[in-house]
Amino acid sequence: MSVIDIKGLHKSFGDMHVLKGIDLTVEPGEVVVIIGPSGSGKSTLLRCINFLEFPDEGEIHVNGELIDPKKTNLDKVRQHMGMVFQQFQLFPHKNVLHNITIAPIEVKGLPHKKANAIARDLLEKVGLPDREKAWPSELSGGQKQRVAIARALAMDPDIMLFDEVTSALDPELVNEVLQVMQELAAGGMTMVVVTHEMGFAREMADRVVMMADGMIVEQGTPEQMFDGPQEERTQTFLGQVL
Amino acid sequence: MTILNVVKEHFWGFLAATGMTLQLTAVSLVLAVVIGLLFAFLKLSKNRAANIFADAYIGLTRGMPLIVQLMFLYFGISSILVLSPFWAGSLALAFHAGGYVAEILRGAIQNTDSGQTEAARSLGMSRFKAMRLIVLPQAFRRAIPPLGNQFIIGLKDSTLVAYLGVPELFSKAMTAAAANYQPFETYLVAGTYYLVLVMIFTWMVNKLEKRLTPHRQEATL
Ligand SMILES: Nc1ncnc2c1ncn2[C@@H]1O[C@H](COP(=O)(O)OP(=O)(O)OP(=O)(O)O)[C@@H](O)[C@H]1O
Ligand SMILES: [Mg+2]
Repeated sequence: MSVIDIKGLHKSFGDMHVLKGIDLTVEPGEVVVIIGPSGSGKSTLLRCINFLEFPDEGEIHVNGELIDPKKTNLDKVRQHMGMVFQQFQLFPHKNVLHNITIAPIEVKGLPHKKANAIARDLLEKVGLPDREKAWPSELSGGQKQRVAIARALAMDPDIMLFDEVTSALDPELVNEVLQVMQELAAGGMTMVVVTHEMGFAREMADRVVMMADGMIVEQGTPEQMFDGPQEERTQTFLGQVL
Repeated sequence: MTILNVVKEHFWGFLAATGMTLQLTAVSLVLAVVIGLLFAFLKLSKNRAANIFADAYIGLTRGMPLIVQLMFLYFGISSILVLSPFWAGSLALAFHAGGYVAEILRGAIQNTDSGQTEAARSLGMSRFKAMRLIVLPQAFRRAIPPLGNQFIIGLKDSTLVAYLGVPELFSKAMTAAAANYQPFETYLVAGTYYLVLVMIFTWMVNKLEKRLTPHRQEATL
């Protein structure tokens, strides 16, 4: 059963038609990388997947269940999806540990001890075992983003969504974040990754999806997409970024 | 030195009345924050009727002289239920300050990056939890300077409750001035009490703001 199954997804903002009929499935353990020019609707698609935006038209199934944003308990749906944002969005009034434990404690009702143990474990995994007492403002961008990843993982999600999570980072900090994502992918996490990091896409993606103008123009394995793209728009785009 | 005489005669009496002023201010400001938060939410709500109601309230409290509101509310409230002058005065002051606090809090909530709410919601928090745990703590922190300002205004506004017969500092000063025929000295002494209170209060607000500063930056990117 697919983790995500999207059929005929449309989304408009006012009279701007941003998503024009997206079909996309994500299988368990799959790493799907979405590429495409700015404004093509990549973020909007990602935000529709966890219902930060509501689709205008089309169906989104999560773990086989058709989600009706008006009827389904979306808080429950989102508990099983982690999301990492370009601008980190750590909670500035909470220290690193509390950033990670707040959702497990407040949403899942885990006891503090258990949540702390999970958080420390994750901090170890993202390479920040000694920063649990730090405030977000004391961290570098790369460290912030790794904490943000740990925060999302603390809810033990079925799928992780990444929206250009390295775009706001200084170049020398990009790798430490990509490395964490790489380990996550290697560990079998289901991931949808919007990125301009073509190296990551080529190396880690099971499938690369090319979006342009609100549509999926082409998708395939990294080899197919990078070595022999069929569509002109993919060729043009890759020509610009590679 | 007539001032010294006034001080000698009224030091303790004024100090006791200052206690009443502080109680009045504290009670009315706590109520004002509750009222203000409620109306901030009404104003931010998507419900048109709630917006209009909140606008009407804020417009009224900001648009009429405080003394008029005090008299109106005092006689209005006490014609419906029997309240001590202290409670009637506190409620009236709170009603007035609530409009200003509502605007302060609405602004602070609105200025919190919507990405913070989205991050909270993406973790499975309900709208309510995201507001309570993520947005409001940041909004209150950002609102400390204007709230502190409003509290100082509230402290000074409490003088007007003297006209409702609450035995607070200013009413004590009026009584004393009428009795000793030394209004200049008497009001100067009373004014100094207020000045010292405001200075202490300003110091406390600054302290609080500093204490909350280390992780304040980057709330909005
Ligand atoms: N909330 C919104 N209201 C109005 N327009 C929006 C909103 N969100 C996105 N858009 C518009 O929709 C279009 C697609 O935006 P989206 O952010 O999905 O693109 P993107 O592919 O993620 O681009 P980028 O690579 O720059 O992040 C853009 O033209 C954008 O301005
Ligand atoms: Mg985007």
